[in-house]
Amino acid sequence: MENISSEYLDEKLETVRNIDFLQYRSKELPTWCPGCGYFGIVDALYRACRELNLKNEDIVTVSGIGCSGRTPVFINSYGFHTLHGRSIPVASGLKLAREDLTVFAVAGDGDALGIGGGHLPHVARKNINITFLLFDNSIYGLTKGQSSSTTPYEMKTNSHPAGNPDTPLNPVRLALSYGASFVARGYAGDPEGLKEIIKKATLHQGFSFVQILTPCVTFDKENRTWKNLKLKVTGLKLCVEGKNMETAMRIAEDEPHGVGIIYQDKDRPHYQEILRTINKAG
Amino acid sequence: MKDINIVIEICGSAGEGTISAGEILSRFMSGQGFEIMSFDSYPAEIRGFGKCVAHTRISSNPIYSPGKFVDVLISLNDKHSISQLGSLKESGVLIYDSQPARPHKEDESAVGWTKPGMVSYGIPLNMLAHKAAGNARGMNMVALGVIAALFHMEKDQFTDSIKARYGKKKQIVIDSNVNSFIEGYGWTKENIKKNDSYSFKGVNLPEQKEKLIINGNQLVARAALDSNLSFYAGYPITPATKIMEILSRELPKHGGTLLQTEDEISAIGAVVGAGFGGKRAMTATSGPGFALMTEFTGLSVMAEVPAVIINSQRGGPSTGIPTKTEQSDFNSAVSGGTGDCPRIVLAPTDTKSCYDAVVLALYLAEKYQTLVVVLMDFFLSNSIKNIDVPQKPLPEYLNANIAPGKDELKDYKRYKITKNGISPRAVPGTKGGIFFSTGLEHDEYGRPDYGEAGHLKMTRKRFKKFNAVLSEAPAPEISISGKNEFDIGVISWGSSAGAAHEAVMSAQKEGINASSFSSMMVSPFPQKALIEFSDKCKKILIPELNFSGQFAGFTSHILKRPVEKLNFITGRPMASEDIIQKMREM
Repeated sequence: MENISSEYLDEKLETVRNIDFLQYRSKELPTWCPGCGYFGIVDALYRACRELNLKNEDIVTVSGIGCSGRTPVFINSYGFHTLHGRSIPVASGLKLAREDLTVFAVAGDGDALGIGGGHLPHVARKNINITFLLFDNSIYGLTKGQSSSTTPYEMKTNSHPAGNPDTPLNPVRLALSYGASFVARGYAGDPEGLKEIIKKATLHQGFSFVQILTPCVTFDKENRTWKNLKLKVTGLKLCVEGKNMETAMRIAEDEPHGVGIIYQDKDRPHYQEILRTINKAG
Repeated sequence: MKDINIVIEICGSAGEGTISAGEILSRFMSGQGFEIMSFDSYPAEIRGFGKCVAHTRISSNPIYSPGKFVDVLISLNDKHSISQLGSLKESGVLIYDSQPARPHKEDESAVGWTKPGMVSYGIPLNMLAHKAAGNARGMNMVALGVIAALFHMEKDQFTDSIKARYGKKKQIVIDSNVNSFIEGYGWTKENIKKNDSYSFKGVNLPEQKEKLIINGNQLVARAALDSNLSFYAGYPITPATKIMEILSRELPKHGGTLLQTEDEISAIGAVVGAGFGGKRAMTATSGPGFALMTEFTGLSVMAEVPAVIINSQRGGPSTGIPTKTEQSDFNSAVSGGTGDCPRIVLAPTDTKSCYDAVVLALYLAEKYQTLVVVLMDFFLSNSIKNIDVPQKPLPEYLNANIAPGKDELKDYKRYKITKNGISPRAVPGTKGGIFFSTGLEHDEYGRPDYGEAGHLKMTRKRFKKFNAVLSEAPAPEISISGKNEFDIGVISWGSSAGAAHEAVMSAQKEGINASSFSSMMVSPFPQKALIEFSDKCKKILIPELNFSGQFAGFTSHILKRPVEKLNFITGRPMASEDIIQKMREM
């Protein structure tokens, strides 16, 4: 710490003073580990809200359990820290009852693909108009380092010290096959890029799924580390625009670290529109 | 003036129109000014040749239970009816097909199993149906014609009832049903010499108000709509499914939204989400689904988010007996789940009170920001009664959220400790009301707080709300009041309460000095009133439809005295006859 010059500190303070998105940050001090990727994610979320000019009181952030579960505490919006794996059902009910609100559902990899894995197909196929942010660090962090649904095969974890025997899920491939109308991948180490993705996801009318690659600096020292992510994460190599399932699936298979919008179907009505049409006709 | 009280059963095979015949009969008799209660039983399988029984009690006086013993049994299918003869009264009437399509072997004929004293009428049901309409399908209507003729029902008005039932169908359908009825009526008048004393004649009935012929599930849906429900989420499960089906049609017309979810966890999750958004929301399920909802019941109580769950109980545990009635979810409704988790539980005691319970549930959930469970059962869900049209809820029951005032929003504490435990609740969209809710223990702002003092303070707050809730409980129903001493006090809950009341009223006539007590609100329980009642009674009897006596255990804990239990898990509703029998033995 003694190496930091006062010029450097002044410069940093000046940057902070110029930040215009602090209104979306709550007064609570984050409980995440120093260096956690989640700081980058909420940073991107604050910026996206600022640029979308959302009123704080019209935003609700719904989370499950785990390190990502604490996200609503650190956002100056209405927030609901629910149950393990259940941010999707709660956010769905909330959005369907209160169409006027902007609803973010937040979940970790254990939350979204393990215990709550049964909800994802249905929110996607119904196309409920919420923005789903998957904080994917490929490990159970809050319970201290057990294998999750996205932990690589053979990686040593506290629940599998001899190596993970399970094949990991591919979140983007799942979201595509479940019929999500917006699928994207972002990176916690690039808040500016992630902000753009979250903005587009929020503006998308329908269910938007964003996988966010992020490290767990405490319980994963070998796989999804900052060092590895910096080397591997790139923009998408395959060219995509809108509704191209074939390319999107190829990205899901071949570019596990490619970030950007992978698939978007703008024509599909969201759930409330469908209900209105059907009920009018019926 | 004589009292009329007759139980009629029509028994046949699935697909023979047994249930529709029962329905037409109930509707007609209700129109004639009688009280009716019907409870049908049919196989769990959709297709097949299972036994169907349409059971209808018709009375000139109020009815509180369906009646255990049968006065008149109509057999459309002797194979099934033989086993029904066991509940036919000693002087009951059997009506059977004297010329069935396929002749019966000796021991397959119902009439062969009747006991001396019973009256049997052999009617060529099948032949008359063929004569009237060219096929056997009208046998059920022939049977209605037979009972109309035998028991002095108004022929032309009955015909009108049949026309009304099939009014939307093709003319040929209406004609064949009406003709079958007339054929049965005429043949009986001409050929049968009445040999029993049953009759629906000679009673002056009060002038008929507009009556609803309705079951508990339909009333739940109606109450929800009348209470401004705006969101329903659910997953199909017997016997609660019908509630979702009705609301699916009706809720959008009232500006609400219905969501059929992937499972019950998601259903209650969505309800809690909508409740967080400040909207009235509800789900309905049965035991197995209620088990899945348990984790969310804890969240609703902890985060103080309104939620209403209707649990229509069936036989349990596990998948249990899906199409039979039982009262075995008392423990799980009142105390299931983790932690010290106070919740409101309302157990409607009859068809009409299903409406009242749902109105109250949605109001209490909103006002007290908590979970309300409405504990019905298969019998209340499906049994049909004719009731007066319920009064719509008063305006104060429709908008009960206590919102924070301007001053409170200056430094808004979502979980502020107040005198009665209710903290003013802001809903998303309220400027200055931003807060954060969690299933973790929290401080007054909602921030996680695991401190010893904080946990105690907040637990006390959640329990404190109960005192105020209790003041909103409907007064317990007591059959006989005004006396200071009873030999037997019958304490009951839910759908057993009607039978208990009826048993006590009949017991009076036998000289048994008894009264009965029931409360629609079972959590929190009106303990003071219960103790007052119990103090007047030498002995306490608690009848309920579960094996272990769940409510009896709960009650004796409050009363600190031994109680007599009466338990059935037959899958049938509580019978007043069984309670009286027990009272005689006590």
